[in-house]
Amino acid sequence: MSISRRQFLGWLGAAGTAGAGAAVGKKAHAAATKRFEGYPDSNGVLFDSTRCIGCRKCEEGCRKVNELPEPERPFDDLTVLENKRRTRAGVYMVVNKYETGENGKGPVFRKIQCNHCLEPACASACFVAAFTKTPTGAVTYNESVCVGCRYCMIACPFEIPTYEYDQPLTPRVEKCTMCYPRITQGLLPGCVEICPVEALSFGKRNDLLREARDRIQKHPKRYVDHIYGEKEMGGTNWLYLSGVEFEKMGMREDLGTTPAPDLTHGALSIVPMVVGLWPVLLTGVYAINKRKEKINKEEKERAVAEALEKATLEAQAKLSQVMEKAENDKKTAIDTAVKKALEEAAKKESDDKETS
Amino acid sequence: MKILDKGKSLLRWTACLGLLTVVIIYGMEAESVTGPWTEPEGKRPDVITIDAMKVFGDLERPAVIFLHDRHTEALSSKGQDCSACHLKETDTRGQERLSIKYKRLQDTDRNEVMGVYHNNCISCHTDVASEGEKSGPLVCGECHREKPDIISSGQPMGMDKSLHFRHAKAHENKCEQCHHEYDEKSKALFYAKGREGTCRYCHMEETQENRISMRNASHIACVDCHLKTKAKESASGPVDCRGCHDLSVREKIEVVKDIPRMERGQPDIVFVKREQPDPYIDPEFKKEISENLMDQVPFSHLSHENANDSCRVCHHAGMESCVTCHSLKGSKEGKFVRLETSMHKIDSDMSCLGCHETKKDDKNCVGCHEPMATGMKQRDPSSCVTCHMKPLENIQDSAQSPVLAENSPNNEPTENGSVHKSDPLAQMVLESRMPITATYDEQDIPEKVIIQKLSKKYEPTELPHRKIVNTLMKNIQDSKITQYFHQDPGTLCQGCHHNSPVSKKPPSCESCHGEVSEGGYPYKPGLMAAYHNQCMGCHDRMGIEKPATNDCTGCHKEKNK
Repeated sequence: MSISRRQFLGWLGAAGTAGAGAAVGKKAHAAATKRFEGYPDSNGVLFDSTRCIGCRKCEEGCRKVNELPEPERPFDDLTVLENKRRTRAGVYMVVNKYETGENGKGPVFRKIQCNHCLEPACASACFVAAFTKTPTGAVTYNESVCVGCRYCMIACPFEIPTYEYDQPLTPRVEKCTMCYPRITQGLLPGCVEICPVEALSFGKRNDLLREARDRIQKHPKRYVDHIYGEKEMGGTNWLYLSGVEFEKMGMREDLGTTPAPDLTHGALSIVPMVVGLWPVLLTGVYAINKRKEKINKEEKERAVAEALEKATLEAQAKLSQVMEKAENDKKTAIDTAVKKALEEAAKKESDDKETS
Repeated sequence: MKILDKGKSLLRWTACLGLLTVVIIYGMEAESVTGPWTEPEGKRPDVITIDAMKVFGDLERPAVIFLHDRHTEALSSKGQDCSACHLKETDTRGQERLSIKYKRLQDTDRNEVMGVYHNNCISCHTDVASEGEKSGPLVCGECHREKPDIISSGQPMGMDKSLHFRHAKAHENKCEQCHHEYDEKSKALFYAKGREGTCRYCHMEETQENRISMRNASHIACVDCHLKTKAKESASGPVDCRGCHDLSVREKIEVVKDIPRMERGQPDIVFVKREQPDPYIDPEFKKEISENLMDQVPFSHLSHENANDSCRVCHHAGMESCVTCHSLKGSKEGKFVRLETSMHKIDSDMSCLGCHETKKDDKNCVGCHEPMATGMKQRDPSSCVTCHMKPLENIQDSAQSPVLAENSPNNEPTENGSVHKSDPLAQMVLESRMPITATYDEQDIPEKVIIQKLSKKYEPTELPHRKIVNTLMKNIQDSKITQYFHQDPGTLCQGCHHNSPVSKKPPSCESCHGEVSEGGYPYKPGLMAAYHNQCMGCHDRMGIEKPATNDCTGCHKEKNK
């Protein structure tokens, strides 16, 4: 049996449309009005950029408690801040400097690490469930099940997870864990513990929200009236306060308040359906092709039979014609011969008569 | 058979593409990212948006961005003046002046006004272009642009005391040349002596019935007068946009420092007025007002005049006293803002507390005041008496004696015959409080404070305590507002020794701050962060650059290993 590539894609397209049509139409949520507000009493960190002095001590603390590799340039080298950096394998967090040009005010600093979403995009994209949103608030990673597809890296709106490209045999996805092993022992995350100005404060997310609102209310001139992470992408456990618009600190303000899983479950819910449909689909394709072949065969056989019959008939007709002709010829020849013989006989008779 | 096959494959392809479209549209919804709005790079102070057609209904095309100074410059280089575009009209006083409208006096009808712009603009642009010079657009879309490439950087203009003084001097105190009122009956402007106010009391944002907008009024009156003065070849005010609306140009206007008081019959020191109860409306009110209200606030109008740049800062809608509109119970004239609110509203520049709050942004004050919650003292009831002063019992009787009232020096007529009245009682109450910025005696202020609780990596830190106090003191002691609000010797200390009772020996920091923060709410920083935030924050806000925030050894000596 043979299926052309074109045929195969054609069938797949038809099946896909049917599946997608069914999936887009309705929400899979049982209660769309109720939103997951995060685990009760989950922890978080409040980053107050108006306090941050850009000393990079948090980077140092992070490296120390997570036993990460030594940096290329030492942590007290603040010229590193001249470039915009991002997280990468072996670097769970970075501090960046932003010149905002706000009337005579100096630069602002932002600490970049996993925001520990209430409903993480990475976890929702991972088909082996390597990421877990723990009740502590931390989003943790299980390297033993990870297949290295790196969907999490694409899914994360904050571009946080990174990949150990330099480890060909045992590559892992790396990201901040909110120091999960430490916080479960009652210790502070490494970055929070070391911060000399407590620009980072660790606590229950609800307490931090209250504290953040309190700061904004007491200092309306100091802060932008917004807590970043309270609602972004459905809310995150890492929260931010700022004196300048968040966009000026390179933070995306276009993310909306819908959790990532809500955005993707429609499209992703097609996946199992397509997977489920495959056996049926392929069997169908096989059966159709099989049937087609059978019909072809039958048609062919019939045509051959017909042709044979026709040829036989034609041959028979021809034969009978030839036979008839031969008969006629034979007859004519006989007749001629008889006639000739008769004539000869008559002539001989008359000759005999003359001679006699 | 063959044709049928083709049809089937077409169907499949359609299905395939259909799926792709669905997926893309669905995906786009999830991923849609709109680029951030970027403002046009070009900024000029002379941008005028021509939307004159608005009076005839909705605009068909986007409004035109017009650069006024560029046009006046181009015209003057060709020897033409304002009359190239502006026609002459006669004002209500019978004097000739230039209309602010373009090439017309009236907005007659849609087509005519549109024609005025199109014909005149385009023909002038064509003429200039035909002379081979750089000219303006000739195509519709180049003037009527959806997204203008230039936006206005024009700053609002207003009179301050200095500018007013210079105008008064130039016009030889003939107030009537600018100030006027409108008479409903005769439908004419007239001058009412003693009732002068700022233009904005009548001329609002938008033109109202028989009152043109502030924008039109100022451009007609100011620019016209400047032009006429200039024509006489004497020194005149600006006649181009940037002269008033570009801050860098405006800064060059001379500022007069010592300005004599404006004479408008205003008082020196009085009690902040409350309305007299109206027994017809509310007979009960009279009982309450006489006994149970807060003590009246003695108020130095004179000091506030000196401290502010224009009357408008407080008298935002009229020269009458506050209570005229802001009554104790609120009234329609005052937009139902009660007297109490009008004095205490913290986020309003016009209220007492709101304006005082802005003074805390001063470089010498912001170091201590910024970390304090906005308006916190306001919530502390004991701070009410700072303004609502207790009446002085022993002099209450004598104050009412006519002898004292007459002897009050401020009730003497001034040189030009104007009288500034004072309420003698208010004056006595206010003057019972000597304006002084107090602090403790030198020997009671520790000279040095050694911070050693946290010295692990570094040597203990020596804080030059007395030097800091003295510097802060030196910076603020001459400020009048500080003198009134820092009378307790412990007040200054509270800049650092916050959230604890005022005392000569305030509790140490570790009374409240643990070594590390406990998290939770309300959040209290750990000791190290508390120190760092106070020192660095204050240095940062007060513009003290050394030691830099990231220079640890600027404050801490490293321990010898």
